[in-house]
Amino acid sequence: MVEERRILYEHLDVPDINTFDVFRQYDGYTRFEKAIAEYQPEEIAKMVLDSGLKGRGGAGFSTGEKWSFVPRDIEPRYLCCNADESEPGTFSNRYVLEKNPHLLIEGILICCYAMGIETTYVYIRGEFTLGKKMLDAAIKEAYEKGYLGKDVRGTGLNIDIYTHPGAGAYICGEETGLIESLEGKRGQPRNKPPFPAVEGVFRKPTVVQNVETLCNLPFIVGNGVEWYTQMGPTYADTRFDPPKPDANTGTKLYCISGDVNEPGVYELDLGLTCTELIEVAGGLRGEEVKAVIPGGSSAPILTHYELDTRLDFTSLTLAKSMLGSGGIIVMNETRNIVDCLLNIMKFYAHESCGQCTPCRWGTPWVRDIVQRIADGDGRKETITRPKFGVAENGRWGDTGETEEIYEDLDLLESVANNIANVDTMTWNTICVFGIAVSWPAVSYMRKFRPEFEAAIREGKLVTLPVAEATVPPEENYAYQQRFIPKEFADL
Amino acid sequence: MSDELVQIETPFAFNEENQREFDELIGRYPIKEAAMLPTLHIAQKQAGYITPAVMKYVAEQLEVTVMKVKDVVTFYPMFFEEPVGEYVIRVCHTLPCALRDCKVVLDHLKAKLDTDIASETNLAKGTTADGKFTLMKVECLASCDVAPVIMINDDLYKNLTPEKVDELLAKLAS
Ligand SMILES: Cc1cc2nc3c(=O)[nH]c(=O)nc-3n(C[C@H](O)[C@H](O)[C@H](O)COP(=O)(O)O)c2cc1C
Ligand code: SF4
Ligand code: FES
Repeated sequence: MVEERRILYEHLDVPDINTFDVFRQYDGYTRFEKAIAEYQPEEIAKMVLDSGLKGRGGAGFSTGEKWSFVPRDIEPRYLCCNADESEPGTFSNRYVLEKNPHLLIEGILICCYAMGIETTYVYIRGEFTLGKKMLDAAIKEAYEKGYLGKDVRGTGLNIDIYTHPGAGAYICGEETGLIESLEGKRGQPRNKPPFPAVEGVFRKPTVVQNVETLCNLPFIVGNGVEWYTQMGPTYADTRFDPPKPDANTGTKLYCISGDVNEPGVYELDLGLTCTELIEVAGGLRGEEVKAVIPGGSSAPILTHYELDTRLDFTSLTLAKSMLGSGGIIVMNETRNIVDCLLNIMKFYAHESCGQCTPCRWGTPWVRDIVQRIADGDGRKETITRPKFGVAENGRWGDTGETEEIYEDLDLLESVANNIANVDTMTWNTICVFGIAVSWPAVSYMRKFRPEFEAAIREGKLVTLPVAEATVPPEENYAYQQRFIPKEFADL
Repeated sequence: MSDELVQIETPFAFNEENQREFDELIGRYPIKEAAMLPTLHIAQKQAGYITPAVMKYVAEQLEVTVMKVKDVVTFYPMFFEEPVGEYVIRVCHTLPCALRDCKVVLDHLKAKLDTDIASETNLAKGTTADGKFTLMKVECLASCDVAPVIMINDDLYKNLTPEKVDELLAKLAS
């Protein structure tokens, strides 16, 4: 069985780790001190790039690369820490804020030093009242101890951290939505480019980084790049010649919920399979796995045929899904996928910010179609037009069959694909919320089509046995796009 | 004249403690407008909900138009434009909680409090007759490992069952 490797969460349960003194006993702030004593800011940025650290907030973009886009000659620059954590199924940032806030502060300090940033805003979702209280208290302590404020520890650096509460809107987790919200406006995402790295909050270069990403920094600096890159697989990107290494290094705070015996946050090396993760989380609650959502509700679903998929950025992208925020939701044989999709679509219809027409109208439309199917009023047509094929006489001709057309399923796919097309990966919207809507809608429907058809045919929700609910891989286009990456070392 | 009209005309101003908090806040941002969300949170804490007078006051403090404040208030679900109960009960109903039977908890609360569920445009619908509780559904509260969860004002309650809900309500009622 795969072992947990606690790094970010190692001291999470130490009593009073939220206070400066106890945190200090567990190497607290020594990594920041090491950074300022031993390295130049550019060297830290280089280390982060070499470590292969990828953003843990959703997009999985290389952190070092993102930093390299920030123009160092425009002042001031800002850091926004994304603690808006509202992707359904994700709950790892909450524990960091509530239990070990000094770790986040140390990560922020290292980032500020590397990027020459003086002001950081931590955007905390409005519902995290306890998390905000704990972080505020920790920030106060850090000011008192001279780790924040003017002339930090006599180094001449000025670093300020402020917390900023959100007010319950999911879309403020999107980086440009967050920036708009921080500026005191509606949290409506901006058109990109310009990207926040160039023009972000208050129209200045801004680094937006998730809590978990920032918490990785002390360990990269403290233990070195070599130590960090040992963890997790590095794949070979064979589109390049010679193949380019594609790092999935470090640990991930996997949040697992739904039908497992011990839901919770498990810190593991990137790259374990779904089956292994379910085992770590105390095994399945129920008889059989029906489906797994691998990266928060926005991610395309995986079926029981795909449980060997490794849960890392590259493998999931190649399996036409995504690791996203690392929120894994498991469903057992008693679950109805139509019902699950309905729940998720209600979420998205509620959370669309309303800026773009395809998203504002399309998302509630998708929800209404799924609602109609779930209510048993799904539209179906039996068509008796000639269907061409090999007829009884062995010759090509009219086979005389009638064909069932599930109009609502075609409509569902068409509406979803007009918000954002999942096959071409193009979206007709300002932000990628559009993809987050059509990805689940289309993937659930394609992979669990028999269950959707049954609901329309029977006029009520029918939960089919696992084997019958999904289309076998060889008959389904959705799986044929799946591709399993090779590890760099195996080449 | 109805009570409501009188209330609209009652001017609003921060009390001393909140004024101090606000003064500290405003220094954090290069532009005053950026303090909008924290300011509205403070104002809502003091006034109970965002009245037109609150919006006017906040607009003056941040040197923006009232329309701009209204624009923001209507966007975020955590700001109320109508009175709410003393205890706001937020029941999470997103997928992971749904997989752990949040519906049972929600139905139980509905029956116990004898009220409907508030909608964003009609909070009165979910508020009990005595004005003590407001029941509403919210999206994922980032605690899916301890689902089903609810929040009562600022506190989170985990792994709920109808029995636990009864205990909680009994404590709040006393
Ligand atoms: C609709 C939507 C919601 C998002 N929600 C969050 C969120 O709650 N928390 C988060 O850290 N990132 C979220 N993101 C990702 C951010 O846009 C951004 O990629 C991330 O904060 C960058 O930080 P990272 O590189 O450290 O991951 C969301 C993105 C989208 C499109
Ligand atoms: S895609 Fe949706 S959420 Fe994103 S900007 Fe457009 S309307 Fe807003
Ligand atoms: S779904 Fe309820 S806390 Fe996440």
